[in-house]
Amino acid sequence: MTEPIKRESAGNDGSESAEIATVMAEGSESGEGWATDVAASRMTVGLPTRDRSELSGHLIVLEGTDGSGRSTQIALLTEWLESQGFAVQTMGLRRSFLIAKDIDSLLAKNSVTRYTLALMYATDFFDQLENRILPALRSGMIVLADRYYYTLIVRAAVRGLQHGYLHRIYDLALPPDLTFFLNVRPQISFEREFQKSPAISFWEAGRDLHLSDDLYDSFISYQTMIRKEFVALAKHHGFTTLNGENSIRTVNADLRKQIASYLGIKNIKYRPSHALVHLWQ
Amino acid sequence: MDTSGVTIEAVPTPEEKRPKQPGRPYSGALVVVEGIDGSGKSTQLHLLKRWLEVGGYRTYFTEWNSSPLVKSATRRGKKRHLLTPVTFSLIHAADFADRYERQILPLLRSGHLVLADRYIYTAFARDGARGCPVDWLRNLYQYAVVPDVTFYFRAPLEVAIRRILSGRPRLKYYEAGMDLGLSLDPVESFTKFQGLTLARYDQMVQTDNFVLMDGTLPVHQLQQKMRDVVGGHIELKRFKKGKDE
Repeated sequence: MTEPIKRESAGNDGSESAEIATVMAEGSESGEGWATDVAASRMTVGLPTRDRSELSGHLIVLEGTDGSGRSTQIALLTEWLESQGFAVQTMGLRRSFLIAKDIDSLLAKNSVTRYTLALMYATDFFDQLENRILPALRSGMIVLADRYYYTLIVRAAVRGLQHGYLHRIYDLALPPDLTFFLNVRPQISFEREFQKSPAISFWEAGRDLHLSDDLYDSFISYQTMIRKEFVALAKHHGFTTLNGENSIRTVNADLRKQIASYLGIKNIKYRPSHALVHLWQ
Repeated sequence: MDTSGVTIEAVPTPEEKRPKQPGRPYSGALVVVEGIDGSGKSTQLHLLKRWLEVGGYRTYFTEWNSSPLVKSATRRGKKRHLLTPVTFSLIHAADFADRYERQILPLLRSGHLVLADRYIYTAFARDGARGCPVDWLRNLYQYAVVPDVTFYFRAPLEVAIRRILSGRPRLKYYEAGMDLGLSLDPVESFTKFQGLTLARYDQMVQTDNFVLMDGTLPVHQLQQKMRDVVGGHIELKRFKKGKDE
């Protein structure tokens, strides 16, 4: 029974046997290092809390389809909040140190199945939640999220995963203090996406769903499905829906008004600095 | 040694021609071994595989390891100790999903007898021991089919630990459960973590219909029982290769 035992003793996870070699060759995982790691882990390990008592910061989420103006609004809100003396941390999907690069390469290859992709996005989300968002909230910052797990639910749901399955995954996630949904018709999304880049991307058009060989039709069908899911979620979770087709200034004024009221900021007047003024025109 | 023994025929029989199992959307069958490290499960599955191969059955062996898909992320996370119980669990769930959707399910659909060294119960036991809520874990894997037979190899903790420690020079960080802060000593941490995992497995014997196997019995005796159980649960002749295969 030598062979199988050898295999088993190489770890519960066959990949680790290769890893042993790497780790040992580099000597990076020394016994001495563990003591400090454990001490550190006592503070950081644990499930992401939904308990707000230790969190003095605030989590504000902007959701919306492609081309709904989220990123622009986040840039403006960051400047405004900082000018009001609030420390701001931003987050977005696919930005985790842990797994973002791997998702990028998967998307580029288009060789991934739907459960796998949904779970890799979930890994990316929770890595950011635990390592970026929660620490920022504990230190009293305002976290502005350019998309949150709602987008992940919407994208996986249109690919046929069950809502219950998806919602339960994110049961462990912190609910936002404020969530805005920037509502934009797919035709407007298309115009705006085309202004940003000269061609429509595979994923923005939902090409993996084989909706149509005509890219415009595919884009519209896909974004319509996504938008429908968002509208349902917005209703269910009580998002504040804003008309994303209004001008950037108008949408920004709406956002400032609501955020100011939530945070107790009296002055909602704002003019972008020179660096951002181009967004205003 | 490469134990992945691929035994897929060049021209598989079309799936529609094989009868599907009652209540199941596929015609294959799934046999799983579970248990903590050092319980002897991999040895036994290896012997079962040999028996089935020599007997001329359409068999495929799969094990719980990282697909190339998430390998770099898993390695990065483990090496730098970045993983929390939740991200540890999710990254392995993504890995499993890839293997399930691209390997296990297609093989079951095409009428293979699939032998799995660890399955979803590994995640329930190990990630549960790490503190992830059980119902959350069950939900993560709810799409995965229930095996035809799940063998649970149970060896007393001391026996399993002795088997593991005698065969390796050093325990790895997550494997030893060092992320849980159970002990600063790797061996002590590993022992405690395996104990927690073992307790989780024990709880599933009833709820998940495990066939309990006493890992302290002689290898040959256990293997005989395993073959009897497989023969009793699964109509093996359905998996017999044809003359042209």
